Amino acid sequence: MTILLLLIPLSLLLVGVAAWAFTWAVRAGQFDDLDTPALDMLSEDRSDAPGNKADDAD
Amino acid sequence: MDTAAIEAARVAVRDGASTCFHCAEPLTPTVVQVETAGVRHDYCCAGCAAAAQWIDQANLGDYYQLRSQPASRVGTDIVDLAVWDRDDVLDEHTRDVEGGREIVLLTDGMRCAACAWLIDRALSRAPGVVEASANAITGRIRVTWDPRRTPLSSALQVLVSLGFRPYLATGAGREQLRRAGRNRELLRLGLAGLGAMQAMMFAEALYFDSTGQMPLPTRDFFRWVTFLVATPVVFHAGWPFIAGAWRELRHRRLGMDTLVATSTLLAYFASVAETLRGGPHVWYDAAVMFVFLLLAARMLEQRARNTANAQVDALARARPALATRELDDGRRETVPLSALARDDVVLIAAGDSVPADGVLLDCTVAFEEALLTGEADAVVKLPGAAVFAGTVCRERPARIRVTHVAGATRLSQLVRLVDEAQAHRPPQAQLADRVAGHFVIGLLLGAVAVYLAWRVHDPTRALEVTLAFLVVSCPCALSLAVPAALAVAHGTLAKLGVLATRANALETLARATDVVFDKTGTLSDARLVLDGSTTFNGADIDGVLAIAAALERNSLHPIASAFAQVSTDMTAREVEERPGLGIEGRVDGKRWRLGQAAFAAGELDDGQLWLGDGLRAAARFRLRESERADARAAIDLLKSQGLDVHLSSGDAEPAVAGFARNLGIVDALARQSPEAKLARVRQLQESGRVVLMVGDGLNDAPVLAGADVSIAVADGTALAQRAADFVTTGASLTRISAALAVARRTRRIIRQNLAWALAYNALALPLAAAGWVTPWIAALGMALSSLTVTLNALRLARVPVR
Repeated sequence: MTILLLLIPLSLLLVGVAAWAFTWAVRAGQFDDLDTPALDMLSEDRSDAPGNKADDAD
Repeated sequence: MDTAAIEAARVAVRDGASTCFHCAEPLTPTVVQVETAGVRHDYCCAGCAAAAQWIDQANLGDYYQLRSQPASRVGTDIVDLAVWDRDDVLDEHTRDVEGGREIVLLTDGMRCAACAWLIDRALSRAPGVVEASANAITGRIRVTWDPRRTPLSSALQVLVSLGFRPYLATGAGREQLRRAGRNRELLRLGLAGLGAMQAMMFAEALYFDSTGQMPLPTRDFFRWVTFLVATPVVFHAGWPFIAGAWRELRHRRLGMDTLVATSTLLAYFASVAETLRGGPHVWYDAAVMFVFLLLAARMLEQRARNTANAQVDALARARPALATRELDDGRRETVPLSALARDDVVLIAAGDSVPADGVLLDCTVAFEEALLTGEADAVVKLPGAAVFAGTVCRERPARIRVTHVAGATRLSQLVRLVDEAQAHRPPQAQLADRVAGHFVIGLLLGAVAVYLAWRVHDPTRALEVTLAFLVVSCPCALSLAVPAALAVAHGTLAKLGVLATRANALETLARATDVVFDKTGTLSDARLVLDGSTTFNGADIDGVLAIAAALERNSLHPIASAFAQVSTDMTAREVEERPGLGIEGRVDGKRWRLGQAAFAAGELDDGQLWLGDGLRAAARFRLRESERADARAAIDLLKSQGLDVHLSSGDAEPAVAGFARNLGIVDALARQSPEAKLARVRQLQESGRVVLMVGDGLNDAPVLAGADVSIAVADGTALAQRAADFVTTGASLTRISAALAVARRTRRIIRQNLAWALAYNALALPLAAAGWVTPWIAALGMALSSLTVTLNALRLARVPVR
């Protein structure tokens, strides 16, 4: 049962890391907009495609 | 942008009820066809076509697949963005950041996440823009640009060409507060979740040791570790409950928070005591789980409220920051909005929004009132008509004399109205609160009784059973049942364009059995339609109609709408409008006049519309007011919902009878004074009916107040009276039946919620008192019942299909 002495502090450490990561994520605004980023990954970003016509169109 | 190509693609009148590919609005006779990505689509205007072409050329065509809502109409107005380059505006609203300057803008028409995505991409690619991010929920766009490479206005031109009009962001402070509050809640919930998970794991280890074989040091080690995890959850994440309980105690009004805090703290401190003295049981798990699950339920309810608030923000955003004031000597100066006063004369450029309520001077101008009424069609106003802040001036510049500024404008009134309706705590919820208050006292006494009874019966389990009893009994579900449902229902109503001014109105609306319409202004619209025509001197009917249509083709006058349906390939030249008389122009080489009899045909004026060459008459047209396009559909819907429809009008018999016949209303009364209307309503009420009155809210205030529940169809008229329980923000009548459907569903869901909450408490209390429920099961059950109630309420967020 001495393994508990290692495993339990380890799990507490992990919780601490998770809590820190979550805090950082909230503070950094990761949860501000939950809809737009979901669309981003659905489309290929072609802004670097040769002859970016967006600029010509202006 | 190649405008010549669009012009070339412009095609003649097409029939069929198709809609614009970009904005999904009905196509007008001047359809624009443009080929994008190899497919030809129809567009309502050159603006939409240009936007679609731009999107295609910028490789952003995915927008059309991603979007869940159609875009807003782009239009062909030229928007003057020069104000965005003014130093005083930039100084006040931008700040220096790395690589340039940053500004936060508001925009309208950002209807779904795909719009935000499109704005992100489009702005980021504009030359000189360093970074751009758009948020579809708040409607805010943050732009960082390099002032040395580009003026802000040219970057914003991209936005405008896609149909999003930029506004200066107001209420940044409030938005900041809301965001900070939301983040704090989210942090609490997340930490409580993590903590609860850990504490449960450690507690599980203790539960598995049911035979007591675990060595005491190991057991105590587990308990101390759980203590370590549970403490921040109870005191940091659970702080809202503890603070709330403290507030309630200070005001001597016991409520839900008292019970939550008592249960949590009792579980926590009892566990600490047991840990210290090495007693047989700890209940950290119950305490943390209680906190976590309750926070989750609270978060859901909060979300429902925020959705409703978003509507208020949309209303508040549409004011320009600067206004152009005309001085007495004719010079013009640009002043901030706050400097405007009554009786100032203000100039509004075409495409700009009106800075304050006022009276139109000089000439006829069309205003787009979409923000106030939800209708996309521009409203044509004659000199002397009231113009409202937040509406957009179309086609030609306008001069107005200011009548109301700042907080007195109709826009501000609307915003306040919504705020009030939402802040007001409805009687139903108040009742639930009072009941909950008595309930809490009863429960605390009950808990003491249970504790004493178990002391006698089985002292070792007394504390545990009392704890389970307290946790399981919490009337959270009871308290949440009504407000959660109402919050969501009001949000849904706002989406439908119906704003509630009184909180208890929804309940009465659900019970309505009769609906009484006031004809003028509610079932009819101001548009004129052709009712009949007579020809003279051998003119043929199609010919005169075509000539009249050609003359009125480009007119803004209300009469023009009567001829809009007539298709003609004739064009009128040298068209001149003669205010008060009519219109004059050359068609097919001949001069024609259309207007009152003396002007057009040299006859005596009879109030009808004549066509002639100024001396001899060719035709006489009879015009009448048309019923609203959706009036018939709205009345059929109301009938299908089981309501008796009545019409009570002040107009003359034949007009009212004809109107009622057209719309299928059997019970129609003509020549009704406001007193007679009120008497009719009273008579219905005496026979046990619940009357819903629909009026235009101006002259029938007493009837609106006298009816059980009333809806004012606000159609450009000032929102002067508060007699109505509901105000629609647009003229569409089908909203009434939609609102009724929402009200009925809300009533059903509130009943379900109350029944569920009461049944749960009635069932769980005896079980807990008998000692068959452990504290952690009690926490789970209690929170699940709260969640059930909230989720049930969220079903109301679905907008009924119209």
